[in-house]
This record gives sequence, C-alpha cells and structure tokens, in this order.
Amino acid sequence: MAPIKDENQWQRLVEECFQREAGPQAPIPNSAQDLIETGLLDSMGWVSFLRALESASGLNELGALLTERTPSLESIFQVFKEAGAKGPSPRADFSGAKRDGMPTSVIIASSCAAVGSHTVPSEEIDRAFGMPPGKLRLRAGIESLAYAAENETELTLGARAAQQALRTAACGAQELDWIIATSETQRGYPSLSAQLHSQLLARETCGALDVGGACLGLLNALAVAQALIASGQARSIIVVTSDVHSRVLTPARVAGEFGGLFGDGASAFLVRAKSASTSSPAYTLGEFFFGCAGQYARAIRVSGAPNGNLDVHFDGEALSRAAITRMEKALLDVELRSGIARSSVRGLATHQPNPRLVTLLAKQLELPAEKFPAVARTFGNLGSSTCGVALDAILQSANAGSASADSKLGPIFLASLGPGLIFGGGWLVCT
Amino acid sequence: MTKLLVTEITRMGPAFCVIGLQREKDTIRSVRPVSAKANSWLHFPYHRGDVLQCDLSPFPGAKPHIEDRFSTCGFRKESTVPEAEVVTYLRKAEIGDTLPELFGCALHENRGGGLFAKPPEAKRSVCGTVTQNLRLELYANELRATLALSSGEVLRDLPVVDRDWRDFIDAALAEGRGANRLGRLDRFLNSQFHYKVLSCPHHFVRLGLTRPYHDLCWLMLDTLIPLPKHEWLEEF
Repeated sequence: MAPIKDENQWQRLVEECFQREAGPQAPIPNSAQDLIETGLLDSMGWVSFLRALESASGLNELGALLTERTPSLESIFQVFKEAGAKGPSPRADFSGAKRDGMPTSVIIASSCAAVGSHTVPSEEIDRAFGMPPGKLRLRAGIESLAYAAENETELTLGARAAQQALRTAACGAQELDWIIATSETQRGYPSLSAQLHSQLLARETCGALDVGGACLGLLNALAVAQALIASGQARSIIVVTSDVHSRVLTPARVAGEFGGLFGDGASAFLVRAKSASTSSPAYTLGEFFFGCAGQYARAIRVSGAPNGNLDVHFDGEALSRAAITRMEKALLDVELRSGIARSSVRGLATHQPNPRLVTLLAKQLELPAEKFPAVARTFGNLGSSTCGVALDAILQSANAGSASADSKLGPIFLASLGPGLIFGGGWLVCT
Repeated sequence: MTKLLVTEITRMGPAFCVIGLQREKDTIRSVRPVSAKANSWLHFPYHRGDVLQCDLSPFPGAKPHIEDRFSTCGFRKESTVPEAEVVTYLRKAEIGDTLPELFGCALHENRGGGLFAKPPEAKRSVCGTVTQNLRLELYANELRATLALSSGEVLRDLPVVDRDWRDFIDAALAEGRGANRLGRLDRFLNSQFHYKVLSCPHHFVRLGLTRPYHDLCWLMLDTLIPLPKHEWLEEF
C-alpha cells in the first residue's frame, strides 16, 4: 500500500468510506459535525465506518486514537495528521526499515511456555513402547515426559502460552499485526495460525502465517517476524510454537527409540519494534542465519504411509552425529558473527534431541551444562517448541534476576536443526 | 403473580431494558417485562440476581422479541440469588453454541462486518452461550466486545449494553481517577480483565438482538458474567 501523505488522499478515503456506510447518495457532512448526535450515523455505523477506514488506511489504532474525541470527520483528519507526524503506521509506509538511517531494533517484549499437563515417568513410556524399563532414562537421559491431557491440543497449548505472553506485556490481541505459528504435529486446516487468530480474537486485518521447519520452526518464525517489523510492515507480532507428539508418534505407529523421545509443549513470544518509550531492559533479536546440509537428508525422514501410518526412517546414530556436529558448528558461527564470546552468554536455547546429546554438546563447547535449560530431560523432545521452551526459561530467569545484577542479563544464543538437515542460528542481546 | 429472576439489565440510551427468567412447568425461559408505554424502563432500582414478584401477561409481540410481556403492577423484591446460581439457571434457559443456534436463524454480515438477523427469520431475541475467549475494547468511545464461541466462530465489535459493565467503564474514566485514565483502562482490559473474567468458573455471556432498525436486528452483548466489582477500580 502506498504511503498516505497528503490531505487530499485522506479526504478521498474518508469520503468514500463514509458513503459506503451512509449510502452513496449521502452528502458529505460538515467536518465539525457530530456524526452520532446529529443522527447521520448510529453508533454501529460509526464503528463500521472507522473499521473500513482502518482497513483502507492501514492505521490500525484509529479507533483507540479517537476515544475521548467528538465523532466527527474533523477528529478523524486530526488523528491522521497526528499519526503521520509520529511516523508511518504498519502497511501505510514500507520505508520504515531504516528511518533516519537507524535500523529498527526488534525486541522480545514477553514470552511464555506451556507444556502438556500430564507428567509421565520415562519408565512408563518404555513399557508403552515395549522397551526394557529404564532405557529412555539410561540411554537418552529422559526422566519424564510432558504429555497433553485429553482436552489439550496444539491450539489450546499454543493459545495458553500466547495469551499469557500478551497479558504479561498488557498487549491486547487487537494490537497484533501478525500471528506466526509453527508446529511439526498440527497438519489440519484451518491451520494453527488461523485457529489461534480466532482463539486470541485478533483483528480481522491481522495476518495469520504458518511457518514450517519442524524443530527449526521457532528460528524460522522469529526471523520472519523480525523481517516484517524491520521493514515497517508490522509493529507487534506473536510467534507461537506448539507440538503434540503424543497423539502422532504412538506405539502403534512408530518405534519407541524414536517415538518415546517426544513430549508435548508450546511457547509464545511477543515480538515488537523497540520504541523510545521502552524503558526497561529488553532482549533484542540479533541476526539469524540458516542453511541446509543435504548430506544428512537420509538420517531422518517422516512421511505418511497409504494405510494412514507414519513411515519413519530414523538412523539414530547418524542423526546423533549430525546433530552434534551441526549444532556445534552453528553455535560457533553465532559466536563468530556476533562477536560475543560463548562463555559470556546467559544461556543457550537450542534444539535438544535428547538430554545426552545436550550434555555432549556442552562438553564439546566447553560450557557448563546448566547454560542449557533442562527441557528434554523433564518434558522430552518438544519438536519446534524445544527451542521455545528453553528460550522462555532463559528469558524468565533473566527477568527474575534483572533487578539484582546486570551481569545476569547476558546474551542468549539460539541454534536448531530439522530434517533435511536444515539448520539455523541466531542471538539475542539485552539492550 | 410471577416470580422473575433478573438476569439482564441493559443500558439503551437513557433507559434500561430488563430481562429475567421465569419457570414454566419443567422449563426455564427468558421473559422481558415491558410497560404499556415503552419497551424500556427509565427507573429500575434492582440488580441481577434479584427475584421479583410481578404480574406479567403475554401479548403478541413482534418477532423476534417473543419474550416481551406486559408488566401490569410494578415489581416487588422477594429475595436475591448469588451470581453463580444465576448462571446455573441461565444454562437451563435458551442456549446456543454455534452462530445459527443462537437465535434459530442464519446471521448475516454487513460490509462493515456488523452481524445482524432478519426479524422474520429469528426465533428469539436473547440467548446464552459459552465463550472460548472474550475481549472488551473501548473503541472510539464505544464499548465493544469481540468473542469466540465454543464452536470457534468469532463475533466482532458487538455493542456492550450490559448496565453494570458500562457503569464500570464510566467509573474507570471518571475525572476524579487521575491522569492517563484511558491508558490505565486499556491495560486493565488487556490483562487483569482476562484473569478475572475468563478464569471465573461461572463465566457466561448472554447475547441479544436489537429491536428492528431499518428492518434488521443487530447483535449485542447483553450480559457478561461475572459482573464487574467496584474494588477492581483500585487495581488500575
């Protein structure tokens, strides 16, 4: 949409929207006239008129800005002027990426995680999959798994995390410009982002986008959110991950060495442009990088079989080797690109195929294992949500510690991978 | 004499519209006392949950406001029922989980996204429902609700006519409450409101249809339970 800069364009837009509501023959009222008091529009018509204007102008907060003002065309023009002076609104001006030569900083304003409410000891999973008791604990390091209760789904877990993240930031769902969702288990339609849109009661003009990538999904989604905000097309985006493996990777469909590793969980991040009014410290998204190491493509493949079962090709040993090698490489690349020593990070939100591999990765990188939140050990591999739940844990501990010691707000490294073998990395710094 | 459990008091301009529940044999149904002169009351000193003694006589009201009853001798308060119990009765009265179930007819959308029913099609003018999510917003001075039904269908920009919620919003914006009242109210509606309302075990909503206006009946949010508490104002 072209930027709306001159008053003639506002005039045309307002008149067209008014006549859509009041009828094509309705004369354009005097601009100071109170449209409701004079009966030109009733309150339903006034709201409908403003919604049409919001949609046409891209000024999504028009209604909020008109509160405590007379319902007149003059007030609308005044709000357009004020909004224009403050800076372009999302969609009204695509040039917001580097206003005044300064790149737009994108922050995580709040976050939340939600895991399946049914905690299952790993021995119970061993039995369910017909494996010797203790196998998951001894070989993979998994102590328990979070399984979704009967009434929990990708939607309910994702919505719970998203609503809590919005509430923490006191951000109304009507302020969202996009909902970006990722899940490796939700495959139906309406898609997860569309269902979340309805569940959260976002504006109709808020976009709903689903991003793939399996366990890499969170990084993909954060990179998309960052790009949308940096380009000036959005101000507030909720990124949601949600995975319910326990209904897909069942003993009847897959082997326990694979299916037994996975739990159910979700995470949500409110991503926003950093504004001058952001007073408290916040984590800013750094750069992201991605790639695909096709040589490991056969290490894990999942496809739907004609009989409805899942065809899982899983070379555990090859996958473990590839995961460790690539995650280590990705994290070293993060260190190199960011110029941040890995020893100084507050935590690492990485994919955690299983806890043993996390321990091994920490050892390879000469980092204390505590820098990696114990997600897989207590909840299982949560797919796209592993990284999310880990990132939320680090952000929550940073928030809790921020009042007492600045040094605790160290940078955060991100790294993950997915079948393909796709991989990605990135970082966050506290500003 | 009829016993009427007051469930709705809506604010329509300067007057109040009242709806209550009446037991008829094994069923509980909504009735709307109206006077011979008007559909609304300029003075109604009762509250939701009050049980009133009154004399109501049916008359052939225009569809879809089939709940209308003439009130012939005023009201006398008999007792009060707690909020949670009111909801128990509301759940036994008219209820719908999907858009077509609400008023027994298809709902239509105008160009601006407003939802309406056509009077000859609608079977009733009030209905209870359970919501998955609900948001209140002060939009250009108009209090509006957006809600998701348990079916996942979303209703947007419904005018909120619930007297107590409108009074609460007015009180929140009263000049005596200091600076930045609108911003504080916004924060409340975007955060604490959800905790207080959606986590309430007897959270319930009643939707209504306006009287026909240019041959259309518009949807509105008649009642949102729990009702707001005055002490919430101290929290923001």
